[in-house]
Amino acid sequence: MKITQIQTTEEDHRIAKLAAIAIVLHMVEAVIPSPLPGVKPGIANIVTLYVLYQYGFATAAWVSILRVFASSLLLGQFLSPTFVLSLSGALLSLCVLWLAMHLPKRWFSPISLSIFAAFAHIAGQLIVVHLWLIPNAGVSYLIPIFAVAALFFGLINGLITQSLIES
Amino acid sequence: MLNLPRCNNLISQLKCLTQELLAGDWLVLIVSTLCVIYLFQTLWTNEHATKVQIRLGDQVYATYSLNQQREIYVHGKLGDATISIAQGKARFAKSPCHTQYCVHQGWLTHAGQAAICLPNQISLELLGEKKPYDTLNY
Amino acid sequence: MRKPKIIIALVASLAFGAYLLAREEPLYHTQSYVFGTLVDISIYGENAERASSLSNHILQNFQSLHNRLHAWKPTAEGKPSELGQLNSTFERGRMLKNVSPDLIAMLADAKALSIKSHGLFNPAIGHLIGTWGFQRDEFTAVDINDRIIKKLVKSDPSMSDIVLENNTAYSKNSAVKLDLGGYAKGYALDLAAQYLRKQHVNNALINIGGNIIAIGKHGDKPWRVGIQHPRAPTAIATIDLPDGWAVGTSGDYQRYFMLNGKRYCHIIDPRTGYPTQHTQSVTLLVPPQPANQTQAGVLSDVASKPIFIESPQNRSKAAQELGVENYMVIDDQANIFVSKSMVTKLNWLSPNVKFTTLQ
Repeated sequence: MKITQIQTTEEDHRIAKLAAIAIVLHMVEAVIPSPLPGVKPGIANIVTLYVLYQYGFATAAWVSILRVFASSLLLGQFLSPTFVLSLSGALLSLCVLWLAMHLPKRWFSPISLSIFAAFAHIAGQLIVVHLWLIPNAGVSYLIPIFAVAALFFGLINGLITQSLIES
Repeated sequence: MLNLPRCNNLISQLKCLTQELLAGDWLVLIVSTLCVIYLFQTLWTNEHATKVQIRLGDQVYATYSLNQQREIYVHGKLGDATISIAQGKARFAKSPCHTQYCVHQGWLTHAGQAAICLPNQISLELLGEKKPYDTLNY
Repeated sequence: MRKPKIIIALVASLAFGAYLLAREEPLYHTQSYVFGTLVDISIYGENAERASSLSNHILQNFQSLHNRLHAWKPTAEGKPSELGQLNSTFERGRMLKNVSPDLIAMLADAKALSIKSHGLFNPAIGHLIGTWGFQRDEFTAVDINDRIIKKLVKSDPSMSDIVLENNTAYSKNSAVKLDLGGYAKGYALDLAAQYLRKQHVNNALINIGGNIIAIGKHGDKPWRVGIQHPRAPTAIATIDLPDGWAVGTSGDYQRYFMLNGKRYCHIIDPRTGYPTQHTQSVTLLVPPQPANQTQAGVLSDVASKPIFIESPQNRSKAAQELGVENYMVIDDQANIFVSKSMVTKLNWLSPNVKFTTLQ
């Protein structure tokens, strides 16, 4: 009998641990009812942002993507529209973060990055809604509400991330 | 909720918060607030049209969402009229009427706008969340 | 595939909101094609059944008035309309007896208005209008025959040629052919408003082919009317119409044909016999009038024509002579002129609309 052993690095362990935290936060949020459908604080993004600052972009991307896949599997939403929305938001958010992390640190703190990420997250989801799910629904009417929520939660999450990094 | 160091009561906490923000953060905050205001202004107007109502004679023939691409054929008093819907707007594309005023009206884009084909007795009206006026003087 | 909860909740809340809005507003609205045009009636605060029967009554009245006053179409039985009979009597130089009292009253009113407008409102030029082809339901560009037009202008048909005595009418000029196209819609508005008031309807808005009269309010707000842009399929401004007020527009976009890049509209200058080409539209706002005078509906229909036809220098004089204070003119260069008292009544729908205030 042959035993296959996968070699794991310290990096892998770190990713797994951080992703686990993100997954828990993601699940907590999925359970808490939202006052308005589609508006969520996105607290799991705090983990992504924290990881980006502590361990770099590659780790942050791993954590983020793992979080989306694992949470949807655990919630039984894998490959459902909710999963696609979540994934598209996370992917666009990562793209924007990759660009934003090159901004000078002297002027832009994690708060800026958090706001960018929040906007990218909702934009990614809206693009999927428009292109695939309900191209003919009057979603444009709700965009300003989503944008306000993104700005507000982006700021709050950014402040939390900031304090986490400092401490 | 926030656990910032050296910030105990609410007022000093707020003070700390503003200190956390760097110049670039302020810029991002201001620009995004402006973007949000702009979004409200452009997307939350009374004129924002979501549907087109087609009337044939005395009856409402049908109401369609404007967020689609399609052609609708309506059989009027004179013959078949073609109405086009495309991404938030609607128009008479073809009409059997002689004057073609309805076709010349072109695209309707805002709530309350209407195109009437008197000879063929078909009218289009764009509907929004709120009617900008009760009736049209022409 | 499971539908996302977000979308279901979203659609449900929108539908529920729309349902609440639709349920709470006691507004009855109907559109109908009568009078050769679109008639749009809104009644507020009556139950749908009563509002519907009142509207049907109004529509029937409009249809019968239309049949009686039609200048060129015979009635269903193949007989000429009442106005048609009158016209053929005028043409033969005879006198018509037993004319309906309301038609006599209309003609007397139209005659007085025509004289006040120095003949610029002239319902006696039916032959000219016919030459231009505007009396057909399906008209096309005509070959302009200058000789015939000149001849018709020279024959000088005028409302002063018509003599009305008790229930008889005759014309001193056989060239007179009545076309009440610029009067009848306003008259029908007044008739409908009177009828609704008699039926104790407190809130209604009647629109006959663009001419509008208001009764009461739309709930706690005044009735709001959009003013059509003469060249775009949109409203240019809105006006809040108080109780008893009427609004009318004459526009070169209502009935016209294009020939060699020029626009020929249905508003003909009786002095030249040619369509007016220096104006795109005239909109006027008329307050309720005293009982024994020309009513608001008629005045809003009639008075826009002389202002439309008159040269730019004499527009305000024409308005003054007809007792019109509130008006807006858009000329062929799309310049907007607004009378002083009208300025505060207009709510422009786009920012930075440039206009000239007329003193």
